Order: sequence, then C-alpha cells, then structure tokens
Amino acid sequence: MTGALHAALAALEAVPLASIGEILTDLADLETLVGIGLDGLSKFGIYVTIAAGLSLIFGLMGVLNFAHGSLTMLGAYLGGAFMLFFVSSATGDVVTIVFFFCTMALVFAIVTGLGAVLEIGVIRPIYDRPPLFQILLTFGIVLVLDEVVRIVLELEGIQSSTDWQAARGTRPDEILGFHEVFGISIRAIYQFQTIVGILVVVATWWFLTRTRYGLHIRAGSEDGEMAQALGIDVRRSFTVVFGVGAGLAALAGVMLMWDPRYGASVPLGVETLLIAFVVVIIGGLGSFKGTVVAAAIVGLVDALMSWLFVNHVDFAGLPELVMFLVLVLVLVARPQGLYGVEEVGGH
Amino acid sequence: MSDAPALALEDVHTYYGQSHVLQGVSLEVEAGEDVALLGRNGVGKTTTLRSILQLTPPRSGTVRLHGEDITGLPTHEVARRGVGWVPEERRMFGHLTVNENLRAGVPPDANPDERIERAFERFPDLREHRQQEADSLSGGQQQMLALGRALVGDNDVLLVDEPTEGLAPLIVEEVVEALDALPEDRTLVLVEQNVPMALELTDRFYVIDHGEVVAEGDSASASLEDDRIRRYLTA
Repeated sequence: MTGALHAALAALEAVPLASIGEILTDLADLETLVGIGLDGLSKFGIYVTIAAGLSLIFGLMGVLNFAHGSLTMLGAYLGGAFMLFFVSSATGDVVTIVFFFCTMALVFAIVTGLGAVLEIGVIRPIYDRPPLFQILLTFGIVLVLDEVVRIVLELEGIQSSTDWQAARGTRPDEILGFHEVFGISIRAIYQFQTIVGILVVVATWWFLTRTRYGLHIRAGSEDGEMAQALGIDVRRSFTVVFGVGAGLAALAGVMLMWDPRYGASVPLGVETLLIAFVVVIIGGLGSFKGTVVAAAIVGLVDALMSWLFVNHVDFAGLPELVMFLVLVLVLVARPQGLYGVEEVGGH
Repeated sequence: MSDAPALALEDVHTYYGQSHVLQGVSLEVEAGEDVALLGRNGVGKTTTLRSILQLTPPRSGTVRLHGEDITGLPTHEVARRGVGWVPEERRMFGHLTVNENLRAGVPPDANPDERIERAFERFPDLREHRQQEADSLSGGQQQMLALGRALVGDNDVLLVDEPTEGLAPLIVEEVVEALDALPEDRTLVLVEQNVPMALELTDRFYVIDHGEVVAEGDSASASLEDDRIRRYLTA
C-alpha cells in the first residue's frame, strides 16, 4: 500500500460519522451549493478545452498525444510573454482587455501552426507503426518542448515563481477581479473559463456536425480508408485536427496563466495532461460527447472535493484521489468509457 | 475524353507484406463498358480493385485511368478523378446517419440535396431512414446505402465488390436493378460470385486465378458451363 493511500485513509478516518451530518448540513446550504457549482463549471471549462483536442486527435488519428499537456504549458508561457510585450503601466483597462483577447488569438494561431508542423513533419511518418511508436514519439516531444522552455527561461534569466508575477500583473482587472454571482463572490477568471469552455463545446459541436469538413472528419474517424475512397483527403483532416487540438490546449494554457490555482510552470504540462487523460478515458476515447460529459463530471467532483478539503477533510490530495477513483469505477463498470466505442482510429 | 480505355492495368504486381497476391494482372475496360471479374475466393479479385484505388498500391506495373498513369497517387486523388467503390463489407460510417453517409460521397462542387434526392429516388426505402444511424439498418438497406453513396459522386468508373453477398433474394433483385440502371456511359467493374448474374449484368468478363488473368471473353456468349470459366471456378 502506498504512502498516499495511507494518508488518504487516515484523512477519511479523521471524518467521524457525526461530522458527515455536518457536511450534509453545510451542503444543503444554497450558497455553498452555488459556490461548488460555479467552481465546478470553471473547472469544466478548463478540462473540456484541454481534453477536446486530445479526444479529437485520438478519435480521428488513433494517436494518444502525450505532448498535449506540454502544449498547454507552452500556451501559458506564450500568453504571459505576449502580455508582457503588449502591456505597460500606461496601458488603459479597455486596451488591456483588447490585448488579452489578441493574446489568446495569437497563442491559439501560433500553437495551431506548431501542431500542424509537428503532425506533418514528425507524426505522419509513423502512422503505420504500432501505437508504442506514437507514444514514445509524443513523449519525446514532451521532453524536447519542456527542455526548450527551460533553456529559454534560463537564457532570459526568468524565475517562474517571481518574474511571472510581472506577467500576472498585466492581466486585465476585469478578468482577475472578483464578481458577485447569486450573492457569491467569485473570481471573474473562473466565469471566463466557464464561458470559454462552453464556447469551445458549441463551436466544436457545430464544426463537427454542421460543416462539410466536420462531416469528413467524422467519416474519417470511423473508416479512414473508405473516406479516402470517397475523395476525402483524410491526411489533411489529420493535420487540421492535430493543429486545432494543439491550439485548444494552448488556449487553456493562456487561461491557466492568470488562474491563481495554476500559473505558468514547466510541470503544468504533466499536471494538465493527467487530468485530460482522466477526462478522455472516462468519456470514452475518441468520443467528443463523452469528453464533454466527463469534463462536467470531473469538474464537479474536483470542485466538491476541493470544498471538502478546505472545510472538512485535512487531506490536500482528496480531489485527485476521488477523481482517479471515479476513473477506476468507470473503467471497471464500462471499460470503453461512458460513450466510447470498442474500436477507434481511422487508419 | 481521350480514346484510351477508361481503365487499364499493365502487369500489376501487388503484395500484402511478403505475400505476392497479384502476379502481373493486365486488363482493359473501355469507357461505358461493364466488366465482371470472376474467380474463386482469395485469387486476387478484391486486391485488383484495391490496387486500382491505390488502397494497396502495386509494387510494380501501371494503373491508367483514361490514359493517365494513376499508380502511386493518393486514394482520394484517384477517387476525385472519378473512380467510385462499393466495397465487399459495405463499410458504412456506422455512427453517421443515412443522410450524412450519402453527403460524405457528394463532391464539393455539387449540390448535396440534389444528389441525395437522386439516391432516394433510386432507393426509396432509404428516404424513410434518412435520420437513422447506418449501423441500425438491415443488411439490405446498408447495401442500398453503399450503392447510393457511390452513385451520388461524379464517378465514371464504378468498382463494385460482391454486392449481393449475404442478401435476401428480394434485395438481390433490387441491387441487380440498380446496377442494370446505371447510365450507359458509366464504366462498371463487378466482382461477383454469382456467375450467371455477373454475366447477365456485364459485357465482358475476366477470370482471375492465383493473381493472374487466365481467361477473358464476352459475357453474352459465356455461361457456367463455359470451360474458360468452369475450370477456374470449381475447386
């Protein structure tokens, strides 16, 4: 038994039966529930933005992209760097907000391009190899991206714990300030994450179900060979999906840069990759619908467990522990995930 | 369009890994001609169709479409040049609706509604199931959909692989009617185990054995009793 599990059990033992009643009483309070719900929605927004790309890439290409989290990390640093470049002490509030949205668009475009280049130059040559090659290759990309970021930070003499506070200082007040929602004070960035998450879901759903290109992507993910025989350029679909998936991961990174719970750091890549994998596996590999539902479940579980940790259970690893427990339970009950199909990958 | 045959295979050799499946197939199909590929299971008929489409590209030899060498082209480029495929296992996009399956076959510059309507006129049964996922259709309906999906494209060469396999006699009739009703200028290459039916539907036939063309002739004058056919079809 691991030390972490010991700690978890000890923490749970520390919750006497009497206090379960106390927890339930607290939970029955509308303000508490709304607070947990809003926190859960913000986490849903982040998780779905990161995991949507991972899920689309696996669904169409059958590639488990281990570098996905590193692209989120890259997005966070690029977001911070652009805002440091754009914003000075003389920049007004409205202009800062405009720069913030420009930064999001720029980071999305740059990392989408980087994703497309990676797909064409590095991943395409190994499509016909066994999955182990793709796993090793994308893991190699993680090492390269992480080291490149470390080298750049070192060369620029940037310390992540201090210098990026300056980048944080560039955030628009409207984004990081507190707002009142249903009588609850909540950071605007959390609401912003919720809105972006919902927009990503709606835009991706619309793209996949209402556009010709989306139809081609869905056809290609079911049977790549048949799709090609109908004149569909499945390889171009691969490039577009890999690029957009990478761009979405980076978009989430920009939001995390100004999120007090995360910020920019090299380990952010692994941290977000783990959560994205949990979401995608619970939802069912390759199922966009499953990813959306799983992101909502994981977001709410995370929010509820974070509330428990802050208020009742003295164990910081509780959200992760329960998140992985949910993953195990889903896999035991339904190994292909909530909406997964037994075979995915179109080539 | 040139005077060159719609389709010409010249000494095509195709492998699956180390297995040498097509061992020098050569055949020609004129524009508007209907040709049957006959032979026992596993002799290379389906591989011939896959080699034409470049799904399993030949290691040597040439595939020409209206005189143009298409060997080594990506499959989607071959399809865009007018080669349609109705595969043996139907290969529906199972989680897409009937409508979406058909729409996937419509070329970018065509009006999808008009093309889909044309498919529904040919196979009225599909219209009732237009919003249903393809996986939920019966075998016969799936075969109609596979044919319909190929017919909505701008294909002047249609490769049809075992279209009646496993179907009820009534559905077979409908499939035969659909193939029979193909426009005169559309070229058909038909792989079919039901030899009398294949001969009835086509102008000429090729018999393939051990990855080679071993016999050919006019369908009208041939039958199951024909020695050219019988010796290669009986075990």
